[in-house]
Amino acid sequence: MAQDVLNALTLGSLYLLFALGMSLAWGTIGILNFAHGSIFMFAAFTAHLLVQEVPLPLPAMLAVGVLVGAVLSLLVQVLAFEPIQRRATDHRKAEMQILVGGIGIAIIPLAVAQYLTRSVPFGYSASTFRISTYDWGFVRVSNVQIVTLVAAFGLAAVIGWWLRAARPGLALRAIGVDAEVASMMGVDRRRLALLTMAVAGGLAGLAGVLLTYYLGSIAPETGDAFLLKAFAAIILGGVGSIAGVVLGALVLAGIETLVLVTTSGTWAPAIAFGVIFLMLLVRPNGLLGRQEVRRT
Amino acid sequence: MNAWYFSHLVLVQSTFISFLLALSIQVPLRAGVFSFAGVGSYAIGAYTAAILTIRAQLAPVLAIGAGVLVAAAAGYLLALLVARLSGLYLGMATISFALFLGVLATNGGDLTGGATGLYGAISTLTTGHVVAVTVVVALLLAAGERGAYGRRVDAVREDPHLAVSLGIDVTRVRRRVFVVSGALGAAAGGMNSLLRTTVSPETVGFHLVVTALTMIIVGGALSWAGAAIGAVIFTWLPSVLQVVGDWQLVVYGVIVAAAAVWVPGGLLGLAQDGWHRLRTRHRPIPAGGAAAPVAVVAPDPAQELAALGGPAAEARP
Repeated sequence: MAQDVLNALTLGSLYLLFALGMSLAWGTIGILNFAHGSIFMFAAFTAHLLVQEVPLPLPAMLAVGVLVGAVLSLLVQVLAFEPIQRRATDHRKAEMQILVGGIGIAIIPLAVAQYLTRSVPFGYSASTFRISTYDWGFVRVSNVQIVTLVAAFGLAAVIGWWLRAARPGLALRAIGVDAEVASMMGVDRRRLALLTMAVAGGLAGLAGVLLTYYLGSIAPETGDAFLLKAFAAIILGGVGSIAGVVLGALVLAGIETLVLVTTSGTWAPAIAFGVIFLMLLVRPNGLLGRQEVRRT
Repeated sequence: MNAWYFSHLVLVQSTFISFLLALSIQVPLRAGVFSFAGVGSYAIGAYTAAILTIRAQLAPVLAIGAGVLVAAAAGYLLALLVARLSGLYLGMATISFALFLGVLATNGGDLTGGATGLYGAISTLTTGHVVAVTVVVALLLAAGERGAYGRRVDAVREDPHLAVSLGIDVTRVRRRVFVVSGALGAAAGGMNSLLRTTVSPETVGFHLVVTALTMIIVGGALSWAGAAIGAVIFTWLPSVLQVVGDWQLVVYGVIVAAAAVWVPGGLLGLAQDGWHRLRTRHRPIPAGGAAAPVAVVAPDPAQELAALGGPAAEARP
């Protein structure tokens, strides 16, 4: 039982690392990035390619993941989402174009990774980091699990604090409420958007490397599965709310673990879809979401 | 010609099926409803037709017809459920509806054949039938895009609030769109499973959502013709891209992304723009354009504005 709770917590913190960036970008600069899953996978994959050449320790691998994730995310923003937002005539059309553009871009890193790996799962067996487990009597916990938990909740706390207390965070939230008024008040939307996308991509890269360590190996298609789960976590907690994402990721991971240990497991993929659908029907703003500001 | 036709029969069939599937997303989108319920209806139609054909040996018309009716009814109920949602939220709710049906099919036991699906749905459905159905559907939709009704749907898409104030029943248009989308999707799914004689949960995944969406985005979302263009391109693209070998998926991704960024109206919109420009090119244009008369009154508009107490030059973008 305690072991199941710990596993659910680890899964939840991986969802959290992934969903945090997506939620941040969607809730503030209005970008729902469907290439996020692909960035996540490709950052982990780049770290894999690198570690084949040079045996690296865990911190270096995490740094590589964060860097690659941030760079890819910035590229997507500059090459695709910025031109779309600049030229779109209205908000709704831009949202849809961003969705489709993200889906299209997501195919590219996926195809490259599938080609290079021949769709065989890849791992970090060449890394100098060794997974060790500690037996605490009632649970067994590995060092990767500890790093994941600390990183996820620590970063969520830092980002939550930054959005509430720091001036750029305030500016970012102002964009989320009314982008035009915010830029009239002297907020540099472009710079903040780039910063947000970099942070989101970095978090995705971090989650990718940690997941690969945690599972031992991941396949190029893993990113897609994470995308819909992160989406469910965001919808569950409320778009743009950091506490909401934490709650959403944990609840989703909890339900999934519960279903996995009590049934044969074939229903587990449906949990995320069911959660998305029900939450949208009952409470479209999520558990902790704020009322959407109407812009007409 | 004949030999080519038979060696490409599967692709020809897929083109028409894809066209119907793309239409099941294009019809709602035209009314401003971002719904992927058509992909779910595709699953409903595919499984209903296969089950009825295998279990009851029903004629294809009845088997597919039953699927269409079930999906249309499901579409109506879904429209009632999601009435409060719009935009991306509606899109995601309908995506999860579609993907949930896929998991449902995996867990359906004997009825749906579980993860392996159903085999041996052999019927008398021919390519001719599929083409006939598709042509009738396209003609009906083309008629619906013209005249007063077409303009009403345009109004609902562009400005729902304005549409309501013009006396258009927006809610009814939206419900109708869900029903039509369900029927179209189910027709595509039903015909596909009878042509291939099999159906499995893999046929309805996230990739089907992506395929249908890319077809209408690249083709053009505002008309049935856009869906037709998209269906032709994305059904035949894989066989054309054989030249680039292993990199065809990369090219595919680049095409989709480029279309979303640079050609938001789709190829149809591009063609219409070009045609419009060609037709208006030879019209006489007043010298200096529309700004000419203004220039006579105020040589420097900025100075004029400043004189009237307007915003100073440096404050304007």
